[in-house]
Amino acid sequence: MKIGLEIHLQLPTKSKLFCTCSTIASYPNSEVCPICLGFPGSRPALNARALEMGALIARFLKCEINETIWFSRKTYFYPDLPKDFQITQYESPLGTNGEFYVGGRRIGIWRAHLEEDPGRIRRVGRAGEEVSLIDYNRSGIPLVEIVTAPDIESPSEARDFLTDLLIELRHLVGITEQDEQTVRVDANISIGEERVEIKNITGLKNLERGLKFEASRQSKLLNAGKTIVRETRRYDEERGVTLPSREKEVEEDYGYIGEPDLGVFNIAAMSIGMETIETPLVRADRLCRLHSIDRQTARQIILTSWKLADLFEYLCLSSPAEKVIPWLLGPISSNWEDLLRSMNHETKEELSWIIAGVAEGKMTDGEGRQRIEALALGTEFQPAELKSEEELDSLIASLVDEHPQVVQDYKSNEKAANFIIGQLMKATKGRYQSREVVERVKKELERRIKES
Amino acid sequence: MIDFPLIEKVLRLDERHKVFVDRVRGIEDIPSDHDFSFHFSAKDNLCTSEFQATAGSKILQGYRPPFDATAVRRLREAGGFLLGKTNMDEFGFGTFSTNSAFGVPKNPFDLERSCGGSSGGAAAAACLLEDHLALGVSTGGSISCPASFCGVVGFTPTYGRVSRWGLIDYANSLDKIGLLSRSAKDVRKYLPFISGPDARDPTSLAQPSMDLDEKVRSIAIPEEAMPSSESEMGKAFLSAMEKLENDLDLRVEKVSLKALKYALPAYYILATSEASTNLARYCGMRFGVLNEETDEHFNEFFSKTRSACFGKEAKRRILLGTFSRMVGFRDRYYMKALAVRELINHEYGRVFQDHDLILTPTMPFISPRFDEIARMRPVEMYEADYLTVPANLGGLPHVSVPCGYASGMPMGMQFVAPHWREGRLLTISQEWEEIFQYRFPEVG
Repeated sequence: MKIGLEIHLQLPTKSKLFCTCSTIASYPNSEVCPICLGFPGSRPALNARALEMGALIARFLKCEINETIWFSRKTYFYPDLPKDFQITQYESPLGTNGEFYVGGRRIGIWRAHLEEDPGRIRRVGRAGEEVSLIDYNRSGIPLVEIVTAPDIESPSEARDFLTDLLIELRHLVGITEQDEQTVRVDANISIGEERVEIKNITGLKNLERGLKFEASRQSKLLNAGKTIVRETRRYDEERGVTLPSREKEVEEDYGYIGEPDLGVFNIAAMSIGMETIETPLVRADRLCRLHSIDRQTARQIILTSWKLADLFEYLCLSSPAEKVIPWLLGPISSNWEDLLRSMNHETKEELSWIIAGVAEGKMTDGEGRQRIEALALGTEFQPAELKSEEELDSLIASLVDEHPQVVQDYKSNEKAANFIIGQLMKATKGRYQSREVVERVKKELERRIKES
Repeated sequence: MIDFPLIEKVLRLDERHKVFVDRVRGIEDIPSDHDFSFHFSAKDNLCTSEFQATAGSKILQGYRPPFDATAVRRLREAGGFLLGKTNMDEFGFGTFSTNSAFGVPKNPFDLERSCGGSSGGAAAAACLLEDHLALGVSTGGSISCPASFCGVVGFTPTYGRVSRWGLIDYANSLDKIGLLSRSAKDVRKYLPFISGPDARDPTSLAQPSMDLDEKVRSIAIPEEAMPSSESEMGKAFLSAMEKLENDLDLRVEKVSLKALKYALPAYYILATSEASTNLARYCGMRFGVLNEETDEHFNEFFSKTRSACFGKEAKRRILLGTFSRMVGFRDRYYMKALAVRELINHEYGRVFQDHDLILTPTMPFISPRFDEIARMRPVEMYEADYLTVPANLGGLPHVSVPCGYASGMPMGMQFVAPHWREGRLLTISQEWEEIFQYRFPEVG
């Protein structure tokens, strides 16, 4: 099975690709001007930020980047297309021949280019009396289109590919919203000779389901001895099936010519100086290697929150990763919202101290949990029952009596005290503050050494 | 100077010569406390909010743009009063201004003859009104041609010198806004106002500044463009050559510019390719003529409007341009034409290494009569542009100035300068005016 995807992703610019209209609209046709409505005499001027984002994406996908790029006119008549041509890139995309890995497999990237979105047509009114209304707010919204080679081998791999790609690209260019408007996919799929294109799929789940349906439709046809015709289909989300699209079956001739109003852009020079940042899955890989944790855990940490991964790296400075992980994915994750609100250097130090303390046996799990909760709520940690100092001292004394060898060991190695501390914490189930316990055990041991 | 007699004259001349598509209606349209220092007109493909902008097409009849063209705005800021919008071939498609949906402008020297095109109304206004400045637009010679037929100075700057914001596009990679006037002095005075970078037209941003008084020492004349010495044009041109050499002490030399002959087909392919995409937007919705048959399929809806409102020449150029960029023909026509454009610029560059300017006649003949035009085939009309097209294809600045008169009609010659060297053209055309007397018709 061969699957190739064409992914359209909205770039998070403040203004449109060729005019100063806002990309955030308040009501239909609120964000329009002579340029994005294609009025006679108006002309486009390129949004530099969109070009920068596009170049960054092309570089991230390891594309070959041309010295210069320009734009083209793709001409076709449609009511939602104000100029009846779309400004896109044809001969000179942002980049070509790139790659992206999913599950360790290389998926080729044929090209990435910039283009403008058309408007949207809305059908309103009762059946039989429907009218079409056009909203041009989306006209001129900047999109980057990424075209893959047909290297994807299954519908679930297509979904994984798109999931991972979006994780990376959203972080790369700073897309915070995840609404369905921001990504639209056309998928080509063939299990035999001829390919079928499924147009305009929105959402990851629909992509996988649409491709699964289409794969089984094609294999049923082949099994029945029929041939698959090359065609364009659409995915019906409600029924979960692909249907022949009403569009003409002949390949449309868009009569591409250069867009003379925009000129040529030296993208190679621009992308050299471009700062590349570490993307989520690249960071996950690094965490795997550096801390010997499994891939799934690394992804979980990063996808929960970029700052949770920051905290993970900080905590690993003082405790081994396998000790940090249960705390990070346990109490810290479950109190994450609250912790994040008050996160500062002191909070981090305290968390580090708690985890190290439990790891060294100076503190019980229970106390650790309670301390983290207190930290999240911004309250003072209260030990469950505070016993008198005398009581604690007598407990210590009896424990040392039971294990006289510890006194001898303590002379040469202070860590020997940990045995008593551990026993004590176990016996008292975290009723005492660990700091106090440590202090008093040491005091007792030193007193006995002096006496002997 | 912007007074009752002027307005009276404008109305009278417009009645007789069909100069304007839209214009001032009377003295009421002039603010009483004005401080205008000159009057000007704009070709009807330049947008201004107080007049219609139809580009000579029925499909834009009644269209009032929501913004002003940069060139118009800058002339206003320089103290200009806009008299009206001058008549033109539909979207600039023509050589004689006979392709307008709003009447045909008539030559100031002879009502039976054409003003030339496509800026025919602009040239007529520049000729008929004293001290008038007409904004024209050239894609393949649409300033030079009518300037030559109406006996005025027609100045076309380098591509990218004047912002095209607010210009209704014919072919974006070729369109240039320029000036027509009775004297090059006016061009020298007002060209700096309309020039200069404008963020609304990115192609205007890379321009160097102009040296308005650049000296001219030598002139090249391509053998390929020499008219027959028997013709009226030939006689006038030869005597102009002599005058330049003797009276202005210029070195005048013959050169060869072989690539000139490839310019015409390359131009028509590029211009129509771009035009066919520019005209796609006119479909009876959003602006211009509105089609009310909204219950039709959009294809029918668009086709009906376009069939009814585009003129014959516009349809011809849409078909030509669409064909040239179709899969299978694109490489053979559109891509090849782009290569020819490079070749022509290269050849011009070679000649400009040794010469300051290149000189040719502007049009091969005096303005034809309308009955003659009616008998011409489209290709014959296209061929009339063979001397004006090459410089336009290269985006080179050029000026057409009157160089002789035959049968009472003016003839023009055209100087071409290297990119951004408009100063040489301003110098030569002002010097020429000193030694050659221009004639203007006596009009009431």
